[in-house]
Amino acid sequence: MMKERSLFRRTGLVLTLASLMLALAIMSVQGSAPSAPPADDASKPRADIIRIDGLKQFGKLERPAVVYLHEKHTQALSKKNKDCATCHLPDKKYMSTKFKRLTDTSKKTVMDIYHDNCTVCHRQTVDAGEKAGPVVCTGCHQERAVASSWTEIGMDKSLHYRHLKAQETKCEVCHHRFDPAAKKLIYVKGKEDNCRFCHLQETVDNVISMRLASHGQCIDCHRKRLAQNQDAGPATCGGCHDAALQKKIQKLKDVPRLVRGQPDVTVVQAIRSDGQKVAPFTRMSVVPFNHIGHETYNDTCRACHHSSMDACGKCHTLQGSKDGKFVKLQTAMHRVSAQASCLGCHDSFQTDKRCAGCHASMPRKDPPGLSGCVSCHMPKPAAATPETEPKVMAAMLLDARQPVTATYADEDIPETVEIKALSKQFESAKLPHRKIVQTLVKNIKDSKLAGAFHREPGTVCQGCHHNSPVAKKPPACASCHGQPFDGRNLFRPGLQAAYHLQCMECHKDMGIEKPVATNCTGCHKEKL
Amino acid sequence: MSISRRRFLGWLGAAGVGTTLGRSAHAAGNTLFTGYPDSLGVLFDVTRCIGCRKCEEACNKVNELPAPPKPFSELAVMERRRRTDAKTYTVVNRYENAPGAKGPLYRKIQCNHCLEPACASACFVRAFAKNSNGAVTYDESVCVGCRYCMIACPFEIPAYEYDKAFTPRIMKCTFCHPRLIKGQLPGCVEICPAEALTFGKRRNLLKIARERIGLFPGRYIDHIYGETEMGGTAWLTISGVPFRDLGMREDLGTTAAPELTKGALSVVPVVASMWPVLLTGVYAISQRRDKIAREEQAAAVATAVAKAQSEAKAKLTEAMAKAEKDKKAAIDKEVKKALEEATRAKAQESAAATAAAPEKKPS
Repeated sequence: MMKERSLFRRTGLVLTLASLMLALAIMSVQGSAPSAPPADDASKPRADIIRIDGLKQFGKLERPAVVYLHEKHTQALSKKNKDCATCHLPDKKYMSTKFKRLTDTSKKTVMDIYHDNCTVCHRQTVDAGEKAGPVVCTGCHQERAVASSWTEIGMDKSLHYRHLKAQETKCEVCHHRFDPAAKKLIYVKGKEDNCRFCHLQETVDNVISMRLASHGQCIDCHRKRLAQNQDAGPATCGGCHDAALQKKIQKLKDVPRLVRGQPDVTVVQAIRSDGQKVAPFTRMSVVPFNHIGHETYNDTCRACHHSSMDACGKCHTLQGSKDGKFVKLQTAMHRVSAQASCLGCHDSFQTDKRCAGCHASMPRKDPPGLSGCVSCHMPKPAAATPETEPKVMAAMLLDARQPVTATYADEDIPETVEIKALSKQFESAKLPHRKIVQTLVKNIKDSKLAGAFHREPGTVCQGCHHNSPVAKKPPACASCHGQPFDGRNLFRPGLQAAYHLQCMECHKDMGIEKPVATNCTGCHKEKL
Repeated sequence: MSISRRRFLGWLGAAGVGTTLGRSAHAAGNTLFTGYPDSLGVLFDVTRCIGCRKCEEACNKVNELPAPPKPFSELAVMERRRRTDAKTYTVVNRYENAPGAKGPLYRKIQCNHCLEPACASACFVRAFAKNSNGAVTYDESVCVGCRYCMIACPFEIPAYEYDKAFTPRIMKCTFCHPRLIKGQLPGCVEICPAEALTFGKRRNLLKIARERIGLFPGRYIDHIYGETEMGGTAWLTISGVPFRDLGMREDLGTTAAPELTKGALSVVPVVASMWPVLLTGVYAISQRRDKIAREEQAAAVATAVAKAQSEAKAKLTEAMAKAEKDKKAAIDKEVKKALEEATRAKAQESAAATAAAPEKKPS
């Protein structure tokens, strides 16, 4: 036993010494290798960082993945009048995004391709007396932290229109769809989809990933046009993906409407799981939808059409279907936490300073209270018949619903309100009531969204006069708020706090800096 | 003084006995202690606090504390990170540029009135009491000034009157205990203009806090500070930014201080009070043992002496007896000799007589 243990110990000692010597040797070799890039270069955030870890598909990586800076290589090559073909082979249609190969056949082959080609080129460059990348294992295989400025890019309306114009409205240059019968890509006019509907995050069967699809098609086209000295988009990593450069992409102010046969106005059509359309007004009041209006409010179709250009109700059926991931129509339209839902998007506008004064102090309920239903769900117009087309019906309903923020006539709004229920240390506060109402209304006058939801004259009043029915003369605050810390009304602040919270929180959320909350005399005069 | 092994073991034994005598802490056992039923508390809502320092002013007034050098209307004092001291039961600090906050944030600091207070568990004279209304109060009449409470408090609240040479006290927020008894609100709560301080039964405050967090998920961090920190505190805090950004400790865990220290600390009062008795006892026992040993030795010596003496006496008696005997024998001998002499002489006399008497025949 003792003998065994001493043997282990000796072996361990020998191994430790050996590994130490190896490490020293490697470090000395590394020291003689070409030096690291200059500090300023390394510290700058980059959009061209590629982690070469393709061997992952063959099992666990033996060494750290190589952090590869793509643009550094393209720049070096362009100086020698070499282009992409130096590293990338032509594939069926576009250049392969892989390095010196079309497919990953085996671990050994792929590894050899990198080791042979990278080191050979680096060595040749060094031999020519120029600066080049490493030639030893750890030179490339090391954990490196490089700051990234990489940002996702998508086609917004402006960029889409610029492409459309450049391609002379030939949608088929980019758009295609798979024809299962012919087993090939075809173009169908009016059936253009968003790239991401088919090209997902990862390659699935024959459908390549969004990354491969865009890098193949976009860069290929850009390169070809650049070669012909035509106006073209970027062909470098940073050109599209660098956060700062992305902002420099030219944006058109007035983008003509992208036409794909979409309706101007329509009604949200409920469809049963068996595909049967539910006739309007059989259960719920119908929701007219101003499609053309919403096109102008959003930058992409994807904002709402998150996985198909079909009408919402097709996948999000009344009862939910597999295509709609069993999200029912009701949920798809009302979930506040979902950005693509009606309420989710509308709700996000409430953080705007003009809205936050009232809305920030309103509880977030999912689904929200029932009082707002009628803002969207409208009663049947008198002229509508069962045969009325959805588009016609929607137009009728939208005509009846002008998005204008309403309020009471000036003379019905008290000019000042004196708050004298509590006055101990201070004189009563005089509230410029009418001015406040007018300012609130003026702030949102131009917003169609606000107009749609504040059509009733009492709605704006509810920002302060909450939790009571809409009325021209709402109940006094003291009707509900009294002594603080009432055990029977746990969640109701006392009168003093109710006033202060209402005023102070609204001022804070609207960014009104004066009077500051701690300046008592800004609102009250001190009692002498 | 050197300590003998025996004495050391004696002390050790005494200490061991002492620990078994210790009363177990209140939270001992595996049941969850959630405070006195219906005990009171305060919910501090950071999102509501405007940093007016009215609470500081009211606190100073109702507790009759000395006036500070700068008036309470001076808000610039909040530029410095302050803490409670012997003249200040509560302070409001300002936190600029907290990540995720739109403007400066304010936090009120005072005693949190733990459900199971660390200060009370550290105090070996029981100067601190957790009252059934939730207040942790202090009794200066028994305080010995050890300041263990100051070290024990995870919130660094108790302060000491270092400037008083003869009657220094521990100073800390009393939850306005005297006012609560009279049915009044704590001074700070009463004055707060925006109900940033909500007063009520602790269980209701938890409901209120949850309701606010639930209805305004974007406004609050989903946590009630003090619900479980250090086993729970009567004062609770909800905030829109992480509590660490308001200088609040997030490393306190959910275990009450007495729970952590009950093994050792529950012994402290016993050891402290029993120590002299125990040591005296140990001393007495060893003294007694020595005494007995001495007595035994003395007894043994006495016995030995007695024995020796008796033996000597016996010998003497024997010798005396022998001597007497010898003397007697000698006397007897001499007597005998004398008698024999006498007899012989008599016989000689009688023989002489007989020789003379044959002429005279009896008739």
